[in-house]
Amino acid sequence: MLLSAPRASTAGSITRNMDQRTRLLNVLRRRGADRQPFICPGGMMNMAVTEVMESNECRWPDAHLDPQMMAGLTLGSNRLAGIENVGVPFCMTVEAEAMGARIDLGSLEHEPNVSIYPMNSIADIDKLARLDPNIGRTKVCVDAVRILHKEAPDIPLFANLTGPISLATSLLEPLTFYRALITNKEAVHELMKLVVRSLTTFGSALIEAGADLVCIADPSASGELIGKRAFSEFALPYINELVKHFRKKFRIPSIVHICGRVHTLGSALSEIEAESISVDAVINIRLLKKLAPSKIAMGNVNTYLMANGRPDRIFRDGQRCLKAGAGILAPACGMSTKTPVENIRSLSKAVLGAPQNAV
Amino acid sequence: MPRERGDLLKDLMDAVFLMNEDLAVKAAKEVVAAGYDAYDAINNGLVAGMNKAGVLYEKEEYFVPELLICSDAMYAGLEILRPHIKTDTAVEKHKVVIGVMEGDTHDIGKNLVKIMMDAAGFEMFDLGRNVPLASFVEKAKEVNAELICMSTLMTTTMDGMATVIEMLKEEGIRNSFKVMVGGGPISQGFAKKIGADGYADNATNAVDIAKKLAAKGGSSQGRAK
Repeated sequence: MLLSAPRASTAGSITRNMDQRTRLLNVLRRRGADRQPFICPGGMMNMAVTEVMESNECRWPDAHLDPQMMAGLTLGSNRLAGIENVGVPFCMTVEAEAMGARIDLGSLEHEPNVSIYPMNSIADIDKLARLDPNIGRTKVCVDAVRILHKEAPDIPLFANLTGPISLATSLLEPLTFYRALITNKEAVHELMKLVVRSLTTFGSALIEAGADLVCIADPSASGELIGKRAFSEFALPYINELVKHFRKKFRIPSIVHICGRVHTLGSALSEIEAESISVDAVINIRLLKKLAPSKIAMGNVNTYLMANGRPDRIFRDGQRCLKAGAGILAPACGMSTKTPVENIRSLSKAVLGAPQNAV
Repeated sequence: MPRERGDLLKDLMDAVFLMNEDLAVKAAKEVVAAGYDAYDAINNGLVAGMNKAGVLYEKEEYFVPELLICSDAMYAGLEILRPHIKTDTAVEKHKVVIGVMEGDTHDIGKNLVKIMMDAAGFEMFDLGRNVPLASFVEKAKEVNAELICMSTLMTTTMDGMATVIEMLKEEGIRNSFKVMVGGGPISQGFAKKIGADGYADNATNAVDIAKKLAAKGGSSQGRAK
């Protein structure tokens, strides 16, 4: 089932010079590439659309629970939609569930979400379980990575991690957590340490199973929500701890996705240790390059346009992002499950004629 | 000897925007003990403080955590002062139905808007998150609301806003309500396209827009029941 899907028509030209894995890793390591990659990592940056789910018979919510289906759905997204990577999982609830949250798995169209938080207050840290990568949905993800590593060695394989603040706000009601950023900093740091330990365990298990790189998405840490000061104190050190760990221990590069108007974070943005930073559609790539000149800029085609726009408009918007300096072309956020495959493929074509000097 | 009214109002205001809940409680108790007008203390003390916090939020000096702690101080003071409002000074509040679209569970923005509008004197009916579209219409009819506020963070669920507006039209009650929309992917252009009456890009802005819309009022013709 996994390999039966026809390849997207762009595949021929993609493999002309460099395989997808080499290209993306080369871009992130600044070793030069034939052109920019077009990716959609997975996790919060959702790549799964119902059209692929239907044609591959790997549907949500079942694909969240079965490693074969999980692998099949992300491979289908690569082959049918022209997304030049694979990655797991398809949601931001795997780690939270492993730490004690109750999850509603959603539906064919809607992603899973937390239905019951394990903590009632910031002091409830002893109510949390320690993430075990060998049971439940963490194991499903690890097993799916093993399958993908074997079946598709030349496609870059993402370990998608929920960002530290976003994981914390999946364990404790977000507004209760945000209050604690002011009223109980010490307890917040205790929670963040525990969260990072779990994320390190999960990320390491995915990498050991064959993941090539890490994408950390932390929407709850957006500058608009918590501001630069709280970002620098509670998000940045923990994001960097993860990035540095994976780089040092496994030589694995990372991408960090930040939502909202990142200019609120100002100089803190360039302090993120990841090789690449991905931003929301509200941010011009030129601004990102100015705020964090040493990073590969990733982004940032509007996902509403992706779902509802005409293919030629989407193609042109992709070209616009590349022209503005995106080193990696990607949707600006998670895609809607209703996004037509034709639209994604149209965007995937924008990288084909892109100037090489931008890489 | 009780302190001057002006001193206490200043304490209430400072308590809220400087995030000092203890001071809010202490000053509110003093207002009650001195027999000053509770309604005046709420409006010109606590709410004035929350407005000041809102200004700092707009200037990006305060963010969500600060705004929440300010609102906690405000509510602590309100709890003490509210039972002492003289009934003749209490005014009829504008009723607002608010919620996050079906399919979306992100409610931080909605909760902030709710707090700021509550502070500004609106009566809030909160439907929560992942709200079935028909519930917006039903609740608005049930409580005879003036405003319907819809929020979403996801592009997947934006179109539900247009559906709610269509539902109002189908029932012939579109003009009975003002509709406001907001949230990450929403823009002024989108609001206009779907025929919403207002769009706000943050919680303090939402209060301004809501006040303007409430002043215009839903047209009386066709009002439910």
